[in-house]
Amino acid sequence: MILIAESINVMSKTLGPAMKERDPKPIQEMAKTQVEAGADYLDINIGPARRQGDEMMEWVVNTVQEVTDLPLSLDTTNPVAMEAGLKVCRSKALINSISLQPDRLEAELPLVSKYNADMIGLLWGIDGMPRDANERCMHTVDIVYRANEAGIPNENIWIDPIASPVSVEINQVKACPEFMSMLGDIAPGCKSTVGLSNISNGAPAHLRGHLNRTYMIMLMRYGLYSAIVDVFDTELVSIAKGQMPEIIDLVYRVMDGERPDLSSLSKKEVEYVKTVRVLTGDSLYSDSWLEI
Amino acid sequence: MTFEIPKTAYSGKIREISLGKGDKAVAVGGETSYPFYLFEGEMPNKPRIAMEVWDCPPEDWAEAALEPFKGVTDDPVAWAKKCVDDYGAEIIALELISIDPNGLDRGVDEAAGVIKKVADAVDVPLILWGTSNHDKDTEVLRAVSELCQGKNLIIVPVEEGDHKRIGAAALAYHHTVISSTPIDINLAKQLNILLGNLGVPDDLLVMDPTVSGIGYGIEYCYSVMERMRMAGLTQQDEKLQFPIICNVSKEVWKTKEVHLPDDELNMGDAKKRGILMEAMSAMVLALAGADVLIMRHPEAIKLIREMIAELTAS
Repeated sequence: MILIAESINVMSKTLGPAMKERDPKPIQEMAKTQVEAGADYLDINIGPARRQGDEMMEWVVNTVQEVTDLPLSLDTTNPVAMEAGLKVCRSKALINSISLQPDRLEAELPLVSKYNADMIGLLWGIDGMPRDANERCMHTVDIVYRANEAGIPNENIWIDPIASPVSVEINQVKACPEFMSMLGDIAPGCKSTVGLSNISNGAPAHLRGHLNRTYMIMLMRYGLYSAIVDVFDTELVSIAKGQMPEIIDLVYRVMDGERPDLSSLSKKEVEYVKTVRVLTGDSLYSDSWLEI
Repeated sequence: MTFEIPKTAYSGKIREISLGKGDKAVAVGGETSYPFYLFEGEMPNKPRIAMEVWDCPPEDWAEAALEPFKGVTDDPVAWAKKCVDDYGAEIIALELISIDPNGLDRGVDEAAGVIKKVADAVDVPLILWGTSNHDKDTEVLRAVSELCQGKNLIIVPVEEGDHKRIGAAALAYHHTVISSTPIDINLAKQLNILLGNLGVPDDLLVMDPTVSGIGYGIEYCYSVMERMRMAGLTQQDEKLQFPIICNVSKEVWKTKEVHLPDDELNMGDAKKRGILMEAMSAMVLALAGADVLIMRHPEAIKLIREMIAELTAS
């Protein structure tokens, strides 16, 4: 599975100021450590970047490309900044992201063709967040249709079903795997991705990895192609690289309704079982879900 | 082939909990089905109504709400006795309005003294409802826990920020606690887990989901309570198998609508309006799974008692 490393972000307390002050060091350090940790893509998130966003994006992309050849995922809501970044990308870039908001579609679909880039098709509708798996299907059809119209083949579209926090609405958590199981039929050839860490937003910081890793496995089962992740979670990287088949198998079995005898499992296995049960809605989430 | 009415598959049961002590102790909870689904399971205890009493004279009550308590609102003891003797209150909910640091800020000893007098004067279960100020609630509820040892008071709100301090005092002097969370099922479960970790026994715990009245988001409260019951009854979620209390009257009677005079904005008779808003809000919450409803107006209470009697008639 392709891992898009999430940590070059303007929201970071160290990297945000570095971007503004054009200090390459912290950004290049972060890029290098993410590459070493196993990233396949580096996400560069400069936020809305309303003022001189184009200069900032161009500078950050060049700065990162001085230390790595990995392809980049460019994340900004400013289309001018997006284009400035695309112009200087040496590898095929990934535009993160284009939703069904009319202004985003109009401004950014042409960029995908012009720069022969890939795009994340974010299933955010005109009315905001899709309510269930069916609305996600509807939005997929719409976004793929619009992209095809603009000359973009399915192979260049990475659909993001939008993960939302487990502590907010469990039905939304269940909707993503359900949607993923249908994606191949609805949009053959399309790839997929997900902003994984959002599943654990609001959970205690030291426990977030449990939710991120388990949810990734659940989505992998339905063919998840890539994920935007915290690449410093070494266990998550191992899973994505196929190094923990027993855990993956265990998660699949619990998804199928199996209730393994917890006393026969290791602590790590028990934690995965409990987390699957929370993410499938069999057991209600609470911050102490691993303890009960 | 005969037609069979589909039935919900229940796998859990709401805990039955005894509030108060002695002859007047009141059992709540014990349901094995959704509220009033008597065709699917049992509801051994009807929802109970606790009558609201304030520990200081109310200044902003609507005339309609004051009228039934004329002459006693400056004396919490007389007020509580009137609720029991004249209006048949099964439970008293004493609102500790006076201890609010942003209000009268009554001192701990004085506040605890008033509570003790009320606790001595009535033999029905007594709920003490603090002000949601962690420090002040902790001070007062800890003092009164000791002072009223053995009375099995019901202490609320116990929130995540003060659950250790208040929970420990309740535990030491054997009072019931009510876990209070801001209308969120995950947080409700979490606080019940934390109280369990602290050692609060399952038979001394009730949940307050934090509710509002009609027109102020009651639909959302309904959904959250409904989910709590689904988790407790059909998903064996032991941490949500506790009776639910709803403090509804205080919310209803502070709304703008109950304070508008007669016929203002074509809203009819003010007294009737307030009573109906309270009764309808309470009914909605009873249908969502409330085991205890804190109510104010005797006529609204009468309406709810009648409705509950009809819904549970065999």
